[in-house]
Amino acid sequence: MVLSEDLVQRALDEALSLGASYAEVRYQRDEVSEVTLRNGNVIGFGKNISEGVGIRVIVDGALGFASTNILTIDEIRRTVEKAINRARALAKLMKEPISFSEERVGRASYNVIPKKDLSELSIEDRITLGVEIHKSIINTVKEVKVAVTAFFIRDHIQEKFIINSDGAYIKSYIPRLSLTLNFVLAHPQKGTLQRYVSYGASGGSELIKEWKPVEEVVSEVKNLERVLLKGKEPPKDEIDVVVGPEVVGLIVHESAGHPMEADRILGREAAQAGESFVKPEMIGKYRIGSELVTIVEDPTIPGSYGYYLYDDEGVPARPRHLYHKGIINEPLHNRHTGKIFGVGSNGAARAMDYESEPIIRMSNTYFKPGNMEFDELIEDIKLGVYIKSFMEWNIDDIRWNQRYVGLEAYIIRDGEVKEDEPVRNPVLEITTQGFYSRVTGVDKNLRFYPATCGKGEPAQGVPVWIGGPNVRVSRIRLGVRV
Amino acid sequence: MTELIHNAKKALDRLKIKFDDVAIKMILKDTVMVKIWNNQISVTQSWRTIESRIYLAKDKRILELSLSLERPEDIVKVCDEISKYVSVMKESEIYAPLPEPTAYEPLKDLTDAKIRNYMDNPLPLVEGLIGSALDNGAQRVAGTLELSVERKALATSKGFEGEEEGSEVMCYLRAFKEGVSGHWAFGSRRVNEESIRYVGRKAAEIATLSKSKVSVEPGKYDVVLSPLVVGNLLNDVAMMASGLYIMMGFSMFMKFKIGDVIASDIVSLYDVPRNIELARSTSFDDEGIETYDKPIIERGKFTNVLHNVKTSSKLGGKTTGNAGWITPLPWNIELKPGDYSEEELIREVRKGLLITNNWYTRLQNYIEGQFSTVSKDAVFYIENGEIKGYTERIRIADTFVNLLRNVKAVGKTQYLIRWWEVRIPSKVPYLLATNVNITKPYA
Repeated sequence: MVLSEDLVQRALDEALSLGASYAEVRYQRDEVSEVTLRNGNVIGFGKNISEGVGIRVIVDGALGFASTNILTIDEIRRTVEKAINRARALAKLMKEPISFSEERVGRASYNVIPKKDLSELSIEDRITLGVEIHKSIINTVKEVKVAVTAFFIRDHIQEKFIINSDGAYIKSYIPRLSLTLNFVLAHPQKGTLQRYVSYGASGGSELIKEWKPVEEVVSEVKNLERVLLKGKEPPKDEIDVVVGPEVVGLIVHESAGHPMEADRILGREAAQAGESFVKPEMIGKYRIGSELVTIVEDPTIPGSYGYYLYDDEGVPARPRHLYHKGIINEPLHNRHTGKIFGVGSNGAARAMDYESEPIIRMSNTYFKPGNMEFDELIEDIKLGVYIKSFMEWNIDDIRWNQRYVGLEAYIIRDGEVKEDEPVRNPVLEITTQGFYSRVTGVDKNLRFYPATCGKGEPAQGVPVWIGGPNVRVSRIRLGVRV
Repeated sequence: MTELIHNAKKALDRLKIKFDDVAIKMILKDTVMVKIWNNQISVTQSWRTIESRIYLAKDKRILELSLSLERPEDIVKVCDEISKYVSVMKESEIYAPLPEPTAYEPLKDLTDAKIRNYMDNPLPLVEGLIGSALDNGAQRVAGTLELSVERKALATSKGFEGEEEGSEVMCYLRAFKEGVSGHWAFGSRRVNEESIRYVGRKAAEIATLSKSKVSVEPGKYDVVLSPLVVGNLLNDVAMMASGLYIMMGFSMFMKFKIGDVIASDIVSLYDVPRNIELARSTSFDDEGIETYDKPIIERGKFTNVLHNVKTSSKLGGKTTGNAGWITPLPWNIELKPGDYSEEELIREVRKGLLITNNWYTRLQNYIEGQFSTVSKDAVFYIENGEIKGYTERIRIADTFVNLLRNVKAVGKTQYLIRWWEVRIPSKVPYLLATNVNITKPYA
């Protein structure tokens, strides 16, 4: 840490002396290194070091935030003044003064300690892995051509030091590793098929061994070649659809995680990331899905991409059940929305970097698995479709009307996934309640995938895990991609 | 000489001893942003940042850095630390030497002094923005007003030195009235209170345009797209014209060559770095090449890939002044105007939709340009040239080429648009496209 703790404390004291009723100072350093390859050839190496201090205050009922990366005492003092003065200047427009919930904030320091340090994955190793993956894709295809492969491997070391006027003192150190692949398969008559896939977690270089990306990509390329060459349109009638963990993870992130962010419910993100179909009076009462639907949001999963133990307001992290047995249950709160709802914060405030105000974010969101084996899940399906992966997706701004277009997908016939009957681009376009209320089976095979979740203005991208088991939904009519 | 270029040159002098190519771009930026929700302020944010971006090449190995550092000795220290990677890197597939500097015509009047003044007191603008929407029938508004001044300095080991300062305003507002919302946006280098009030007025006008709700079925429709939608979709098209996007498999232009017809002959899409109305206008790119305006699509034909020296040497052609040391990017975009008024565009529609805003544009396949995007604010159903009511949220699910080839009319009034879903400053009109695929959830 470049900035002395004393300077951070002085910034906090300065803010309080200038009239802030609440003040928070966060030093944050993010160091990202990335190697990029195309078709097994190196493009370049990039490094991004972002380091500075963000100061947030409440003055006369208005919230102010200011940041700087010029880490001198004078500049930090000016930054404190800016946060205070600019908030105060607009305080007359406040109709409902902002205040925070009382919380027992943490005083703690924690590090993610990798089994093997990120530095043990040398640049040569990273390039070798990219070359190996490219070669394995080229060597796997039989009838189609590989139009292009792209490979990105990135590590990210994040350090935070947060203090606030309520006594929080949180230090954290979280290393993360991620790997992303893009490849395009092409056939003169069948056109092209594109796959974009990522791996990511907190930890160190041991993760590559756990992910087995070469073995996974070989298997996937084989399957996707079959989809490109033999893929047919999905059945037109209502059928059972089994959605794989990758797609389930995305669905719960989009249609359970986002609508359960309390700032959206209140309209704070209305002009940017949108609002929510969830209204305060629905919490604890409204049935959104079947009894099988429990969606969990948990920052404390060891090794997760969205891992943290205290949020950026100093509140201890804990698991939250967003939907519990089909009922809208517990939104994600920070100290502002926790006060308005009268329930307190549940530790969901995160900031992307020192320049970002902490806002309500997801961490690791997943569909709670059941007890079934996959075979049991599909054994009584006469005709259905299994959607294993996706490319295109989107959802409206109240998180109700959503669409996912499958990439690797197969017919299920008489209780078996028919790998020789691939389905091309099946479209699952459905409402949130339409999806969750049709859930009729959940297997036990929980798997997580990394994502970067975007929200806020300026847009903040934070690492999250999305996940789930295989989920069966009944009476689904799939569409066809034009 | 300012301290910024002085520091850039000082670091450059130290680094060019060790590397074959060096470029340093230093950016000093002051920003204030006011966010609005429920007719009041959610947060006022201020930033003052210095960022040093550094490009280094040695024996055709490429390193690119972005550092929160200002002092030359600190920059050199980090560069020294990562220079060890050169020996273990491989030659870059896209390496090309930095270009010899060319003379450039500096753009004038990039900074509006009023923006700096409003940064210290944005209250008149914020009050005007909220008030104009409420005065015009909105019940509730949310939005953003951002004001900034940025100075950049660039020095390269080929001897280029340049410095430029510009201001920016970005303003957008979403207005709600009884379950219907309207949205408008504005982005420019210059600000006045009327341009901000117009955003609020226009958002309220859309939110209050019709009280009748009608339902539409999925299918093919003629669609009138607002400048916010046009800007969002053409941002994606313009990004895909980047030489590096084409190389990496993130572009529909992978399967086209220059001269191919990809759009209706009334579609001309330009990259316009010399348009000083728009916020990313600049005299020179990151390689020290003078910028110039150029078509990406001219009268329906694919006309230019956006290049830096690396992608141009790899793909053929010459740099278009769009560097990015690694990734060439559009600066600002403009869709050339047509000759229709907005009323005339609507009158052309027998059965169709006016889509006023969209978000969440995602692709199934970049090469095929298969995309979908969801309406965010009011969508109006049009029958026989008249708006009959607002509809539920719908989705355009088609391909970019289908959409561009089906453009039948372009509006004559262009708008300066920038907001959360239009990140590249855009000067765009309304347009009418026929036979566009519209979907919605079946359950």
